[in-house]
Amino acid sequence: MKFIIFAGTPGSGKTSLIKYVIQELKPDFKLFFAKFDCLRTEDEKNIAQKYGIPTVKKLAGELCPDHYTALEIPKIIQQNQDKNIILIETAGLCLRCSPYIEEGLGINVLDITSGHPNRYGPILTDADIVAVSKGDLISQAEREIFRYNILNVNPSCNIEEVNGLTGEGAIDIAQYIRNSTNIDGKKLTLKHSMPSAICGYCYGNKIISDKATHDRYTKGKELKGLIPNLNCGKCGFKSCNEFIRAVLDDKIKKEKCPFIK
Amino acid sequence: MIKSVEKITIFPGVNKFSQKEKFEKIDIKQGEIVAIVGPTGAGKSQFLYDLERLAQNDTKSKRKVFLNDKKPDKEWKSNPKKKLIASLAQSMNFLTDLSVDDFLKLHIRARGEKSDSKLIKEVITEANQITGEPIDPKMNLLDLSGGQSRALMISDLANISISPIILIDEIENAGIKKEAAIKTLIKEGKIVLIATHDPSLALNTDKRIIINNGGVVKVINTTLKEKGIAHYLNWIEEHTLEIREQIRQGEKITDIKLFCEKI
Repeated sequence: MKFIIFAGTPGSGKTSLIKYVIQELKPDFKLFFAKFDCLRTEDEKNIAQKYGIPTVKKLAGELCPDHYTALEIPKIIQQNQDKNIILIETAGLCLRCSPYIEEGLGINVLDITSGHPNRYGPILTDADIVAVSKGDLISQAEREIFRYNILNVNPSCNIEEVNGLTGEGAIDIAQYIRNSTNIDGKKLTLKHSMPSAICGYCYGNKIISDKATHDRYTKGKELKGLIPNLNCGKCGFKSCNEFIRAVLDDKIKKEKCPFIK
Repeated sequence: MIKSVEKITIFPGVNKFSQKEKFEKIDIKQGEIVAIVGPTGAGKSQFLYDLERLAQNDTKSKRKVFLNDKKPDKEWKSNPKKKLIASLAQSMNFLTDLSVDDFLKLHIRARGEKSDSKLIKEVITEANQITGEPIDPKMNLLDLSGGQSRALMISDLANISISPIILIDEIENAGIKKEAAIKTLIKEGKIVLIATHDPSLALNTDKRIIINNGGVVKVINTTLKEKGIAHYLNWIEEHTLEIREQIRQGEKITDIKLFCEKI
């Protein structure tokens, strides 16, 4: 099984590129496509209808979408053992984060009009492939400078120019996917750690104050020690952290967690 | 790597109806200028794209491109330091917030060369022959007018992104002195392909490739008479530009030349 992650800022052309890539790969492989987003998306339906491949929608809601992606990866792999290639499209909001894994292929779709590449963190610097989109909008000189700037922050990446409207470059991206290694039986590791994010605000505090944040953090930590952190979903929330927030907001009783006696 | 391209060969692909194109191969030799013509949406840009990507049956059209009778290396199409093809399209804009001078320095560095103030001066001087409104090296790229931007792109293409093959996609609407632009781009020993709707550009070539429904339908060698016609059409355009300038300057138009006085 090959495991491919597409990441990039909203509007960079990830979905359009993925559609052309699916078209290229579909005749030769059994594909599965998972679309991660924050609030809403219909892309998974469109792709399932148009290309006839199984897809799933994963909405992160209150969670950091990249954390959520990492949490969901094992489930997706387990449920799709009969597939040859898993394509993941991330929500792509945070430049600091990236859910690329060492063992799979990480593709950053980078809009050439979105500013200097040194603004981006691991989403660009840890990518195996950088698919530069919208290059037809700017001069050759700037395209060459952009490429030079990408190589300054990620010297080992392969750069391909792509066009989400016409599908240019999709054949090259599909070729990288064909050549990528299989993840079967391997222990999967993140290329880059997730951002440190544990404070009262992460547990849902809304009052801007050191004390309120600290109080919320203390209560959150207490609950965190009681629950198994399995994200089993039996409480009705997709993650334990969301459950803790709801308990602290008095929206639900902590006994809803089957592991709390 | 190859330093000069003596010949491009294009092998047929398929048109929009998946029918094979009706030619055996098209050879374009060093020094030739070729126009790509056909209705809007016919596939002119795709043809240029196939050349830019050095297509190997891996684009929509399934065409194949050989250089000097050989299959080209993949790296030639992506690495700017080894790139053989420079291209200029109609919709391109500058987005970098830098002075013209600093931008050109950065571009020279990105090509792996040492900054060269003489070269920068040359780029700007040549750009100023293409645009009516002079560009100052201290101007910000984002403040350039459409015509100035296009002129700078053309001069940059001719002097910094130096490549043996040049692809031009419909530059006639760019608001620049077309003839000066073409003169800057077409230097001796280059291969130039121009997708165009402009009759004087299309006829001022060595041959033209006619495209319809995504496929090449005909290749015509330009006749001497056609070159003469191009010359005349060009004169008409220049005269039109003179009148345009008079209108811009707030003058009244009292006279129009009816005959070409240019030799």
